Amino acid sequence: MIERKFSILWYGALAAILLFTVIWTLFPMFWMLVTSLKTNLDVFQVPPTILPQDPSLKSYENLIFGSTPIYKYFINSVITSLGTVFISIILATLAGYALSRLRFRFRKAISIGVLVTQMFPLVVLLIPLYLLYVKTHLLNTYIGLILGFTSFSIPFGIWMIKGFVDSVPIEIEEAAMVDGCSRFQAMRMVVLPLILPGIVATGVFAFLDAWNNLLFPLTLVNDISMKTLPPGMILAFGGEFKHDWSGMMAASTIISIPVVVVFILLQRYLVEGLTGGAVKG
Amino acid sequence: MAKKILAKLLKIKFNKENREPSVHDSPKTAAILLAPALLLMTFIIFYPLIRAFILAFYNLNLTQPNNTAFVFLENFRIMFRDETFWVVFKNTFIFTFTTVSISLLLGLIIAIVFDQLPKKYAGYRGIILVPWVIPGIVVGYLFMYMFDVEVGIINFFLQKIHIIENYLPWLMRDKLAMASIIIAHIWNQTPFFILMITAGLKAIPRDVQEAAYVEGASRWQEFRHVTLPFLKGILVISSLLMVIRNINNFPIIFTMTGGGPANATTTAAVYIYKIAFEQYQLGYASAVGVIWVFALLALSIAYIKSLQKDF
Repeated sequence: MIERKFSILWYGALAAILLFTVIWTLFPMFWMLVTSLKTNLDVFQVPPTILPQDPSLKSYENLIFGSTPIYKYFINSVITSLGTVFISIILATLAGYALSRLRFRFRKAISIGVLVTQMFPLVVLLIPLYLLYVKTHLLNTYIGLILGFTSFSIPFGIWMIKGFVDSVPIEIEEAAMVDGCSRFQAMRMVVLPLILPGIVATGVFAFLDAWNNLLFPLTLVNDISMKTLPPGMILAFGGEFKHDWSGMMAASTIISIPVVVVFILLQRYLVEGLTGGAVKG
Repeated sequence: MAKKILAKLLKIKFNKENREPSVHDSPKTAAILLAPALLLMTFIIFYPLIRAFILAFYNLNLTQPNNTAFVFLENFRIMFRDETFWVVFKNTFIFTFTTVSISLLLGLIIAIVFDQLPKKYAGYRGIILVPWVIPGIVVGYLFMYMFDVEVGIINFFLQKIHIIENYLPWLMRDKLAMASIIIAHIWNQTPFFILMITAGLKAIPRDVQEAAYVEGASRWQEFRHVTLPFLKGILVISSLLMVIRNINNFPIIFTMTGGGPANATTTAAVYIYKIAFEQYQLGYASAVGVIWVFALLALSIAYIKSLQKDF
């Protein structure tokens, strides 16, 4: 392979952009973490100190043992996110497989219909959904929230899985069926292992969206004990606590840790899913 | 109008039929596999969508549920005369256009620069993608804190390097507030473009690049005539997707400014939320929503078309 000659100027430009990128990306997160470890007295100091004067976990203690039931929000977030992952993975895999492999009337219409639903403003759906939830007593329930969250992750997942199944050569499956497998056996034993990265990606996206979602729990839940972390944070830091920056950043850190961990562990699948399935279609 | 759009949608050819129906296809199998997902989507998406279209013709206020009345086009008449509706339209356009174009440009530059790095550093690329998964509400609070007039690090920094003389009340002035929310979104979304463009760069055949070099193309010429044409598809698709996402964006703006000061940062999704769940005018909010559904439908068609063209 031929290597280009590098000039000093080119190296300099590259280094400058790299430095800018790293600072621009990491500084806000660093600042969040540092502020969460400061006392509010420290936060208001001029000029601000880059590192906490005397680092303390006070803000975290206040959150966990204080009047805000953050552990409850956390549990609600975990339950609804995992529920969303579970339902999305199963339904999206079945439907995505059917849209990729089977030929039937309205297949195209359904495919496009599923794709287009991802473009709708969810807030518009939320109005009738709210009225529907009032009628069906789904307000303030886990299942109500989970169903709401799947309105994004199921259509998104269906397209992602469809993309992955499309890329599995049909001959493999046919060979299994000639050898006496039923369609469902062939699907389970041949296709499923091959599209596992797509299934993991579907699950990760479902988790991230459910965990980060503010709009649905904000409107579909008004019972404090049923709130998830994002609306819980609005409740905790709106109004009089608006200037508890340290506490706000501590809560932000707590909410961010699970998604950052999931991202770092499963990054490969996310990238593969996005570039191989979902967006490409 | 609707019929035409539908006809257009259906005419679009999907994933050229490269596979013939395989062994024993039955519509029954398809129905079994599709039914759970479609049933759920009917309950959670299709039914609410149809209901929203119907609600748009009603006067429905949550505080006076007994005064519900069919008002036909009244909501739309009020809407088009409502100054706020047009302000929101303008805000949404400025916000979406600026956010997407700057994120795209930044993403392009960063992806290309990181692509030049030796392979052993590739693992570190993951770190610059992290902002993308940070919850919207955290991004909102974090930037609200950093843009704060008193304790905000941004004011302190800008004063230190003598760009500003006095601390600016970022989130309290119309244009500054708009700039602030745009910056927060750029921070959040640039990684998405980096990710997509990096994937696109990897797909460019090495020999084409080398040929350009051997032929004596300058770096700029190579970029302009080799890299860019290869990336065009992915750039169009990611941008359209993010335009759609940003029109629907809610949590960052809601936490940072709440749409203020005086609607200066209210975009479509925030506006509809406020009418529906702060003023409880569900009928009117649905009417506004319906208009945005049509705007997004047009964008979606463009998105679907470019999906097919480029892959």
